[in-house]
Amino acid sequence: MEGGINAWKGLQAEGPPDSGMAYFAPATRPEELIALAWYLEKGSHIFYSELSQRLTDRVAKDLFKELALAEERHQTALSGLYQDFAGSTSATGFPESVIRSREKGEIMEGGMRVSEALDWAKGRDIADILDLSISLEANAYDLHLRMKARLEDPRGKEVFTVLSHEEKDHLDRLSSLLEQKI
Amino acid sequence: MDYFKLVSTWPAEKIRQFIKEKNPDQYNLVDVRQPKEYERGHLPGAKLIPLGELKDRLSEVDPNKPTIVY
Repeated sequence: MEGGINAWKGLQAEGPPDSGMAYFAPATRPEELIALAWYLEKGSHIFYSELSQRLTDRVAKDLFKELALAEERHQTALSGLYQDFAGSTSATGFPESVIRSREKGEIMEGGMRVSEALDWAKGRDIADILDLSISLEANAYDLHLRMKARLEDPRGKEVFTVLSHEEKDHLDRLSSLLEQKI
Repeated sequence: MDYFKLVSTWPAEKIRQFIKEKNPDQYNLVDVRQPKEYERGHLPGAKLIPLGELKDRLSEVDPNKPTIVY
């Protein structure tokens, strides 16, 4: 790449090559990876929902409402993926029946605690909050790609292929929404 | 290894477009800087192989796919 990283104006992720991977360490089966990923999506959903209620700026409110809905769709997609992997016709009890997470949606994609992110966002201007959201999404995308490269189980790789595709779409949508609305 | 083989350089914008259009399985993305530099910021999905380790870790790069290096 001409000019190296200094010339890069696109998204960047932060952290060492193994950052965020410890979160998925308790999973021994692909179904458990899916369940742990579901909890992260739930955390992101809570974060965006809370912001959409808290902000008064109409454009920002709509944007975060849309992001919260997107996270909800990701949760639904993961429930479907769980059914495919488990050969089940229903996702009843998912994800608690698959793996219990101590966090239960208190951590969001990108690895930040929802409560900390919401505290941080208090009184910040909308551009700062959007910057944080994009950076969390970029880190989540990075983590999914690194997990995929690290895992040897082809089914586990498939889980992170699906997740990274979703995240890439999400980042593209977020970036274009930002260009349109802010 | 052919050290005299010419490689093309692409501007960052062309790479951004390439990455946007392609699936991550279709290319190698390698960060050859030092670990601390990688930690401060890297392209999402980039594999860290510091320049000094590249010769010993070439097997981690798929020779059948285009490779983006920075």
